[in-house]
Amino acid sequence: MIKAEPRTILNFLHANFDVVKDLFSYQIADGLITKEVYDMLIQKHGHTMNIRLREYRVIRTLGSDYEMRDVYFKLMEFLLFEFKPLLPETIEKYKTSISELFLKIRKYENQDRDILQERIKNLSHQVREFVDLVERNTFRLLAETRELKSNIDRVEYREKVHKASFWIEYYILPLNRILDVKHSESVTSTVLDVCEYANRRRLDFQDETIRTEFEKLYSQLIQTNTDLLRQSKVLVNELLPLLERIRTESLILTGWIEFLRNPYKMDTPPLLKGTRTMVYAKDMLYKVREFFEQFSVNDYVTLEDGVVDFDKWIFDRELFKGNLTKSLPVNDFFSWCYKELQKDFQDIETDKFFALCGLLFDGDLQIEFPKKAERVTLTTTTSTISLPKIKIEPALKIK
Amino acid sequence: MVYPSNHRQIVEELMGGKFILSNEAHFNALKENEAFYSEFFKISFDLDLNLKTEYAFLLSKDTQENFSRDVSIFIAILCYELDRDGRNFMEALDFNEFTFEEVDRYFDNSSFIDLIESNKSLREPDARRTLINGMQRRNIVSKNFDDRFAFTQAHKVFVDFAKELALKRMAVESE
Repeated sequence: MIKAEPRTILNFLHANFDVVKDLFSYQIADGLITKEVYDMLIQKHGHTMNIRLREYRVIRTLGSDYEMRDVYFKLMEFLLFEFKPLLPETIEKYKTSISELFLKIRKYENQDRDILQERIKNLSHQVREFVDLVERNTFRLLAETRELKSNIDRVEYREKVHKASFWIEYYILPLNRILDVKHSESVTSTVLDVCEYANRRRLDFQDETIRTEFEKLYSQLIQTNTDLLRQSKVLVNELLPLLERIRTESLILTGWIEFLRNPYKMDTPPLLKGTRTMVYAKDMLYKVREFFEQFSVNDYVTLEDGVVDFDKWIFDRELFKGNLTKSLPVNDFFSWCYKELQKDFQDIETDKFFALCGLLFDGDLQIEFPKKAERVTLTTTTSTISLPKIKIEPALKIK
Repeated sequence: MVYPSNHRQIVEELMGGKFILSNEAHFNALKENEAFYSEFFKISFDLDLNLKTEYAFLLSKDTQENFSRDVSIFIAILCYELDRDGRNFMEALDFNEFTFEEVDRYFDNSSFIDLIESNKSLREPDARRTLINGMQRRNIVSKNFDDRFAFTQAHKVFVDFAKELALKRMAVESE
């Protein structure tokens, strides 16, 4: 068991990626990490590195030497896209495991439900592993054969043919046999049989849980068949005719193959990016004329508002406040307001009346409310308002 | 001061990122006044003029330009697939016409499918048409019909790029 949190291990891999990458490269080259190499790395990065590599189970001892644990090795293979080509014999074993699981599923489909469910899940897992390996192997074979076609080392034709024959005999032809759907013994044809069976059972199996499992397996196998077909196409179109393909050689194609290895990390021909602002615009003359003409107008332009169709009366607080102060004391504030407005207007509008009533809220007025419920009724253009008689007196000045 | 004939067309096209080809009338005016134009573009815009026997274009200072990268990937995959198909790709680039359908077939069946699908100018047939139309605007391809195109001499910029890359790599390998 590892005591460290998973996130801590990932942080360690992130921070020390170069060290782990070095270990991975040594393991790829020699099949293990020799004691000398390991000691040299530890000397360079400190003793803590040794403790962490062991604690996080990145490496394990192998006699006096070391090796990277499989899970980390596979992770690095995936991250760096550096897959080791596998001999097809390694992949062919899936034929047995898939066939056996398939046979048992069919034979014991009416027995224990739990074990049937487990078998379907295991079958799905085996198929996933198989496709994954095929994809990785095709990818690697493509890389190897492109290298042969590119021939950057400029090896002689005879040596090229020798290498190509090796790849064809031990890797490409056997892989083709595994993928050839027309061949009854191929893994692909077994996968197709499973797919057909899963398709039937996802519809007619009595138990709903198992039906769902078959449904999942069927969906996975449909995708698998598409993926395998794509790999098979690559084999037929590109890998099998390898001998024919390496007969021709071109410096330009070598360049392109090298470029396509990682096209985003190379500088390409520096073409000028077309700009939208042209040096000569087609309507440049008119645009320039328009630009300068705007400065040639000397007359002042006066803009007037149109005729307004609303009453422009604005409440002049200062004026009315002054009038009120002069009239103090006022025994009936609201009647005073009404009379003030009557000096200017024949009909009193409610809005104007209320605007004037706002004076009541000025802090420096001394307001006295009536002890009895004395009220006064006033009529505006729109309302008849009943209001209390409020007395206003001059504010008391504190000396 | 008297400017060379077609001056405006030359400046307009080169500044628009277009190649001027040797079979175009204003190419001669450019060639005859090479010294003037080299100085003109350098002093006015700090750009270098690349004038070859078959084409001319302005060099950008930005080497990370996406259009150039997309065109390079397009031509690289096309050459690879033509060769895989047993065709002489140099002859095809020089003299053949390509239909969109033919290009789609090569790209859809290419083993570089992961790279194609990761590039938004190449992943869909329509996107590839847009790229080819962009190449036509720059004079890298010419289109006599809507559904087919042929490469102009300007494609040699990319071919030379591939050749130089191969030579550089081979020099590194032999060290």
